[in-house]
Parts: sequence; structure tokens; C-alpha cells
Amino acid sequence: MIESPHPPAAPATSPASREVTNRVRVLSVLVEDGPNTLSKISGLIRRKGFHVRSISVGPSREAGRSRMTLTVDAGHAEADQVRKQLERVVEVIEVEDVTSDDVHSRELVVAKVKSFQVAGLVERGAKVLDTGADGTTVEFAGEGKDVGDFVNELMRHGVVDVARSGPVVMRRTA
Amino acid sequence: MILEALEREGVEYIFGYPGGANLPIYQHLHEHPKLKHILVRHEQGAAHMADGYARACGKPAVVFATSGPGALNLVTGLCTAYMDSVPMIAITGQVASTQVGRDAFQESDVIGATSSVTKHSYLVTSIDDLPRVIHEAFHIATTGRPGPVLIDICKDVQQADAERVTPDRLEIPGYQLNGHVDLNRAGEAAQAIAGAERPVILAGHGVLLSRAEKELKEFAEKAGAPVGTTLLGIGAFPVNHPLSLHMTGFMGTGWNLKAVQNADVLMMVGMRVDDRVTARLADFAPKVKTFIHIDIDGSEMGKNVRPHIELVADARNALEAMTPQIGTLDAGRGQWLAQIDAWREEHPLKYTRSNDSHSNGRLQPQDVLIDMYRRARNEAIVVADVGQNQIWAALWWNYDQPGLFINSGGAGTMGFALPAAIGAKFARPDKAVWCVAGEGGFVMTAQELSVAVEHQLDVKIVLLNNFSLGMVRQFQDDFYGGVRSHSDLTHMPDFVKLSEAYGMPAIRVDKLEEVGPAMDTAEKTKGPFLIDFRIDPEANVYPIVPLGKSLNDFWEAPN
Repeated sequence: MIESPHPPAAPATSPASREVTNRVRVLSVLVEDGPNTLSKISGLIRRKGFHVRSISVGPSREAGRSRMTLTVDAGHAEADQVRKQLERVVEVIEVEDVTSDDVHSRELVVAKVKSFQVAGLVERGAKVLDTGADGTTVEFAGEGKDVGDFVNELMRHGVVDVARSGPVVMRRTA
Repeated sequence: MILEALEREGVEYIFGYPGGANLPIYQHLHEHPKLKHILVRHEQGAAHMADGYARACGKPAVVFATSGPGALNLVTGLCTAYMDSVPMIAITGQVASTQVGRDAFQESDVIGATSSVTKHSYLVTSIDDLPRVIHEAFHIATTGRPGPVLIDICKDVQQADAERVTPDRLEIPGYQLNGHVDLNRAGEAAQAIAGAERPVILAGHGVLLSRAEKELKEFAEKAGAPVGTTLLGIGAFPVNHPLSLHMTGFMGTGWNLKAVQNADVLMMVGMRVDDRVTARLADFAPKVKTFIHIDIDGSEMGKNVRPHIELVADARNALEAMTPQIGTLDAGRGQWLAQIDAWREEHPLKYTRSNDSHSNGRLQPQDVLIDMYRRARNEAIVVADVGQNQIWAALWWNYDQPGLFINSGGAGTMGFALPAAIGAKFARPDKAVWCVAGEGGFVMTAQELSVAVEHQLDVKIVLLNNFSLGMVRQFQDDFYGGVRSHSDLTHMPDFVKLSEAYGMPAIRVDKLEEVGPAMDTAEKTKGPFLIDFRIDPEANVYPIVPLGKSLNDFWEAPN
């Protein structure tokens, strides 16, 4: 999670404003790999007053292109501005707004706990990565809410460290 | 290889300044006589010259600057062009690719510093990418919604030799052009205007950029709809046309603002609908039932005002598609136009004349500009700076031709006028060019007088010298408690002597009867000429909407 120094402002009140849709958009963005791409996208988000809730980037199926999954609060702009502004960036090839679509959304968390008694975590679907003298390292993947619950559960096992990815999404098969 | 590519793109002028990181390019410049290089005195001047050049002839010019301070000096000029959608190619030298990131001499992150003020930018670290990059840059700068593109080229790449490859095709997957007009949507828009009781059309810079003046006039006449323009849209519709509302926005004409605030259908074409047009957004055009927005940039839809009918398209194509689909006009149209005529009578543009007793013998700027426009005979290019001089020049503009009024609208860059006028004169040597500026903005880029003198450019400078930052002073008087804080400009140079020091003739004028003879002299003198008009320091811009208020609340010139 990247915290913006600016709290999200009230939504725009334009004279012909239709009902303000959810300001937080989930976008799947195909971009060109390049030294300027990430800084151009993050610079755009900052100067438009948007707020990044989460971001994850990885290689896409096509060489030279990466897939970004962004969760962005539109701030005081209308929600569709996030997609439209991203589309103006030449390095951005395609923006898909999957906010209200039926998607698989998965986050990964890797955590180190002091406890060696992790059966409860494994029961929830965690996988033990290693066990050492100073504790156990586990991983868990799931919907954002399940990951949140899992992280809460970790507290009871003496958390040493937690690393959590942003979500990656894919449309469900029809 | 860079210079060959520029020739291939049909470049005529380069405005530039050499330095450590672009010397390899300059070494070979003399081998390319088709590329005319103009040596500026500051890189900001180069960007504004390229900007004025492009606005005057529609073609992009090239700017050269070295790394670090050279490139960073371009930022204001790039921003000015970016805000007003003006095509430009900036080529900056960067330290050698092996030096990048080492804080080398004159190294700066130019891409980082300019990405918010360019349409696109490239850092070139390999010679193999160069032909493709230059070809793409021209395509991106000049198509769709135009804008400046910056190419930052590492010094070792400038020196590298490679096989000359001419890119024969463009493949930019992330750059799509919106050319297609949705005919049904265009019909819907045309019928909304035709069926409106109180329609208004506002036209912006996009109409001029797509050369849609003729199509706009045809549409407006057939639809019987009045047309106002934004500051940058001046020239998109003839000011003397019976349907003209002249300029809109927070310093627009009274009859324009009355029309906008009472319209039931408002069509905005080729414009961004920014805060200078809407004043207080919540009260902008409050009676409108249907907003129609036409712009080539889809992100403008709903950025400030959410349209009910949107056409993401080139203005000319959109208007062309709309005109044949205008149906029967609303029966109340004649009444609406009569109402607008009444508002025009009720809220005319006015000023206190220099020979009026209320002027205390002070020269009024409008008298100067009216004389200038009379001489300009509907064909000279007028380049204004920023501030009161800009709004006076905009409001007293009386042309019916497009593309002749140039100013920095979005960025509001002081110091724009002189270098932009120089660029405009290079672009259109056949046209008279007048540069209107206040003394505050003028001294910000006055070093470019050297360029005007060196090339003996026929640029006539109308300096409206009010011994202050007039717009700032007016705002302080009216909206900031009457505290005149640092808006008086004392210790300014003697502008006649300054001009003469540059080798340029000049005259000082402080009386109305001297205006005509001084203008005669300026017109008769070959090459650049400056007239230092010492105008009333208390002259204000009217109409004006007080800051934070709605367009309904405009103030008019006192009687």
C-alpha cells in the first residue's frame, strides 16, 4: 500500500454531474517495458491528484510488455478520468477497467512468525516455506479480504515480518 | 544522422543554443544548409520562438539545447506549448550514456523534469533507436491533439556512426488517433442545438488547430446559434459576425456571459473548459439541460464539465458531420437572438478615452490598440504577452480572419510575446507582425531583441508601459484588500535607450496625438522597432468576474 500524503478530496460537482460512481478503480494496464514507463505513470497519478491504493507489475505474455494492476482512487476527479488519463500516456498500450467486473483478484503475502505451531495457518491454506531456529516462514494467496484476515490471524503467532503484494486480477471464465 | 533525419521531416528552422552536451550536433550543422539555425540568447527564448513559429504556420520547429541548465531553461517554454497544444520538437543533449546517474557535469534528469510538460519524451541511449525515435516524435507532436515532444540524446549517441536507416513505417501501439466521427452522435448533437430554445456555441483553440473555422461558421449560421470563443479560440469565428458573442470566460464580454449563463443547450468545441472559462464551476451555465462537448482528446470529456453528448473527434470532421443533420430550428430562436442583441447593447465593451477628462491626460491602452488594429487591416499577426495587455489585445481585436492572434493562454507565460513574435515572423515573413507586451513581461525575455536585430525582422513592438505589474495591481486593488504589494515596477530601464543599445530604433509616446505619428514611423522603418507607450498606470481590464465568483457577477467598466 502506498499512502498518499493527500487524503482523497470530495468528488467533483459538475453542473451536469450524473451520479458519482465509485471513485476507486481497479485497472489492468498493459504497458511498454522501458526506463521511463513507471515514472511517467506514477508522475501522472501524482499530478492529477489521484491516490494509489495498490500497484503490482510483472512481465506480460508478450515480450517487451508488462502488465500492471493498479487500484487507484480518483481523488477529486471523476472516476473515469483515471483510465482516460492513463490512455494518454504513449507507453500505455491498453487500459482495462475491471472495477465492477467479475474477476479473480489475488494477493500474495509472505510472513515470518516466531511460532512453530502453524497448523492453524496451514488449515487456512497457507504453505510453509521454511522452518528455522528463529521461526517459520509461510505464504498465503487469496482475495484481498482473505489476505487481510490471514494477516490478522498471524498476530496470534508472533509476527516477525510481513511482505504483501498488491492484487493481480483476471476475468473469470464465462 | 540527427540532422539528416530533421531534413527528412521537412524542418526549416531550428532555434537553439550550443553547449557541451550537444556540440557533436553543432559540429555538422553547416553541412545541412537546408536547416536554418537561429542562435537565441536564452533557451526559453528558443522554445517560445518555435512555439510562435508553429502557431503562425502550423508546422513544427525544432529547438536545440544542451544538457543540464540548457535543457532545464526550456521547461517554461515547453509548458507554454503543452498547455496550448502547440507542436514542437525539443532535442536536448544529455551526458554520455556511461556517465548517466553519476552526477556528471551539467547532468540533469531532463525526462523527469519535463514529462509533465511534454506530450511525449524519449531518452536515446543507442544509435539504433534514433531514426525511429525522431520519426515517431514528429508524428506524435503534430497529430491528434498536438504538443511538444522532447528527445534527450546522450552525447555518445550523437557521436556514434551507424548505417542510415530510414524508418518506413510507424508502429506506436500506445498512440491511437481519434479520427472517426460517430454519425448518430453527431446527429444527436446537431438536433439538440437546432431544437434548443437558447443555444450557445463556444469555440476553442481546437477549432483553429483543425482549421474548422469555415465549418463552424456554416454550422452556426444554419443552426442560428450564437458563437463565442475562448481566449485561445479568438479568430475561430469572425468578431463582427451578427452571431458573434466575442470572448467568453472570466474576462469575457458581458453579452457573452449573459448568453452562456442563460443557455439551455451549450456546445463546447475544441476546448478544455478550464477555470478561466467557467469561473465558479458550480454556477457555470446553470440553465443548461444539454452540454455537448467536442474534442479530439477523450480525457477532456467530463474532466471539468460532464457532457450529455460527447464527440471525441477532430473539430472539423465533427462539424462537417453535424451540419447536414440540423433539423428544424426551434420557433423561439428569433427571440433568443433578439435577447442577445439587447444584451450586446446593454453591456458593450467600453473604456475611458484618453481625451476624456476622467483620464487626467493619461494615455489609455485601448486607444493604442485600436490604432494598431486599424493598421493591421485584418491581416497582420498580433502576438500578445500575458496580463492586462493580453486581455486588452484580445477584447479590442476586430478581425474576421483566423490564426492571427497569438498568446499564451493556458500557461500564462510572461515573456512569451517577444520571442513568439520573432518565431511568427520567421514563419510568415510575408505578414506584418505586431508584438504587444507590458514592460514587466517584456524584460523577462528582452535579450531576444538581439535575434530581431541580427535578422532585421520586421517586428513592431507595442510596449504598454504602465510602470507596474498591471494585472497583479488590479487584483490587489480589487480582491486583496487594496494592498499594493510589490506590483510597482521601479528602476526599470529607459526602453528607448535599451532598444538603441541593441541597435534597434525606438520612440517614446505619452500623449494620444503622438500615437498615430509614432505608429507611422514604426511602419515605415524597416526592421524591428519599439514604441514605449507610457499608459495610464491605473487603467484596468473590464469586464472581470471577481475571483471565486460566478460568471453572473461580472463587473463592467465604470461609466
